[in-house]
Amino acid sequence: MKGRYADENIKWIPALIGLVILLPFMLKGITFSYKYYLYILNTIGIYLILTVGLDILSGYTGLISLGHAGFMAIGAYTSAILVDQVGLPFGFSLVLSPIIAGCFGFIIGFPALRVSGMYLGLTTMGFGFIIRRLIIALREWTQGSGGLAVSSPKLFGYTFNGDWANYFLVWTLAILSIVASRRMMKSKVGRAFMAIRDSEQAAEASGINLAQYKMMSFFISGVFAGLAGVLMAHTNHFISTDHFDNMLSIYFIIMVLVGGIGSIYGAVLGTIFIVLLENLIVPVIEEWLHVLFQIEAGDIESLIFGLIMFLFIIFQPTGLYGMWLKIRIYWKLFPFNPKQRFT
Amino acid sequence: MSQLNVNNVTMRFSGVVALNDVSISVNEGEIFSLIGPNGSGKSTLFNCINGFNRPQEGKINYNGYNLNKTPSHDVIKTGISRTFQNIQNVPYMTVLDNVLLGAHNRIDAKFTLNRWFIRSYREKEEALALEVMDFLGIANYESKYMSGQPYGIQKLVEIARALMPKPELILMDEPAAGMNDQETYEIAKIIGEIRDRLGITVMVVEHDMNLVMSISDRVGVLDSGKIITVGLPAEVKAHPKVLKAYLGEGFDA
Repeated sequence: MKGRYADENIKWIPALIGLVILLPFMLKGITFSYKYYLYILNTIGIYLILTVGLDILSGYTGLISLGHAGFMAIGAYTSAILVDQVGLPFGFSLVLSPIIAGCFGFIIGFPALRVSGMYLGLTTMGFGFIIRRLIIALREWTQGSGGLAVSSPKLFGYTFNGDWANYFLVWTLAILSIVASRRMMKSKVGRAFMAIRDSEQAAEASGINLAQYKMMSFFISGVFAGLAGVLMAHTNHFISTDHFDNMLSIYFIIMVLVGGIGSIYGAVLGTIFIVLLENLIVPVIEEWLHVLFQIEAGDIESLIFGLIMFLFIIFQPTGLYGMWLKIRIYWKLFPFNPKQRFT
Repeated sequence: MSQLNVNNVTMRFSGVVALNDVSISVNEGEIFSLIGPNGSGKSTLFNCINGFNRPQEGKINYNGYNLNKTPSHDVIKTGISRTFQNIQNVPYMTVLDNVLLGAHNRIDAKFTLNRWFIRSYREKEEALALEVMDFLGIANYESKYMSGQPYGIQKLVEIARALMPKPELILMDEPAAGMNDQETYEIAKIIGEIRDRLGITVMVVEHDMNLVMSISDRVGVLDSGKIITVGLPAEVKAHPKVLKAYLGEGFDA
């Protein structure tokens, strides 16, 4: 018997992976400022790992989190301390730090069993604040709000130095995260998460332990966020509490929402869209505002992101991925019934 | 031999007595129907059996398990599964996945981990689901999303999900609510087959009298949280208190 998920178009995946491998070389051929673009691509890769995890929590399990930068901070600082101060090898920290972040997620999961919706959002947001204060308070290890210099990642005797090497490290892990999370969401665990989101009664009647699975969702999400934090710390070489602002957590939610909440590819698309917007389009808009209207717009990106999220929620709640599915169905049925809607 | 024993159960919701000293027993291999006017506590009784509500007094026993203490996600391990009055499905999952949701405990945890990379486990899971879906005649809906499906199909998917864990007793909360005559007839046939072919005891809450009278072995009547009578369909039909509860005072049958 053939697998029922033949509709998943496998033949595109090697092409996409090939594109990820070739992209830096193509950029090098096209522009002289390719290092800047590589940096942007690295940022996309790191944020993508986190948003995929956030999508598992908020999109699939339906538990909103406005404090994911906190988990990222835990991963980053844990790894920085473990590698540079304790002296563990990076490879070990790459595994251990996300698990520690996941354990914090597990702890945050406890209130999530009682509160939901808006209140859970506030709880997790508070968690983000607490983590920042905690990092400042633990001055001995974290050097407070002054920030912490971090060493380069070393794996199997190879030191990843510069954006070029980091790119391949980050994107290998990013692709692994996407594959792992997609597989997970197609398994019994993913079904349980979705059942919790849509009908807790049906989930319980089917034998799903709500408490266990909600905590598991927080744990998995924390692990992804911690992994993103580790990579961010070791590729940026410098971390401070400002890197893990609570505004960042809200940007993560915007990324997931714009991409299409409740689908892994949606989170990926949303991350790419928002990071490119922030780094390529927003500076241009700022310059136009300056040239045309003589306005010095300091924090215009918050306004733009807010507007985009607003428009997406109203006009395209399924996000970019939903848009893509609509287009695909339109072309599949092309001459016939072109008004066919995706349900 | 009685399988499910509900003994003197009383359930109050802050002053409202939903169930008042209710005792019923369901025998193995029978179709037991529970009828009664709206708000008489039928669904509350199901919720008590299923662990969603905890009765203040009384005991619920099933095959030696004490259901008063069992957490609701463990009730299915004792062999009781249920469907809901207002459909509880996952709209953004395919029909097949919705059915597989019910097999949560039948799928080994270690299979899940392996299946991240090995496709064949998925096929094993699917074989489990398709067996049940074939039985209910919804196998051709497998890859469709739940959200666009007609009401009758959604009800059948819910029954399929309830059948997936191989239960010994299935609680059906209004399986024919909102269905036309044709679909009601199909549901009646399916309930009969669940009992005859799969050997599962069925407990049904239903308003459709024709359905209840045609399929039930025994019928219990609840009114305002009290059991009025339990008996064969024909007896219940002629019971004066039942007529009073349904049709009002001063009606001569």
